Amino acid sequence: MDAVTYPEKAVIGFVSNHVIPLRIPSDQRPLAQEFKVSWTPTLVTLDTDGKEHHRTVGFLPPEELIPSLMLGIGKTCLDLGQFNEAIGQFEKIVTEHARSAAVPEAIFFLGVARYKHTKDPKNLRLAYDRLIADFPNDEWAKRARPYSLIT
Amino acid sequence: MADKIEWVTSMDEALKRAKAENKHVLLDFFNPN
Repeated sequence: MDAVTYPEKAVIGFVSNHVIPLRIPSDQRPLAQEFKVSWTPTLVTLDTDGKEHHRTVGFLPPEELIPSLMLGIGKTCLDLGQFNEAIGQFEKIVTEHARSAAVPEAIFFLGVARYKHTKDPKNLRLAYDRLIADFPNDEWAKRARPYSLIT
Repeated sequence: MADKIEWVTSMDEALKRAKAENKHVLLDFFNPN
């Protein structure tokens, strides 16, 4: 991450503008134990109370780190009931990072956030339809399969 | 814009800044060796 991803201008800009970057050695107690860190890099998105909402393990190239961080922000907002903010993050991943590996998960949670915001289950079905159309073999299409029953 | 990521190294400081700036925290556990 230090050699390839973190020096990238777009990454520096995104991190500087959207998150508070905190770096902790993986052997630092008690934090590493509290977060059950067993491999590096482990990247965790926390809310302002320090609660975890998203985690990745392993190297991410610059073009994947930014949408992954956006997923983390979106999932944090979703968990906190900030549905409009969550929807905005997931939509941006889909439209601005369309080739990213984060897109199927973003489509899934976009459906969830829209459903929780509107109470209209049609949003879950729309997410399923999109996943099946564009990413039929992705795990998120499989996770969305129950929504195929929504009419 | 900064020419590198300006990392915070303390959880307390990160959460204090997160609250003040209304941002979430990216916590990177890295290999120190």
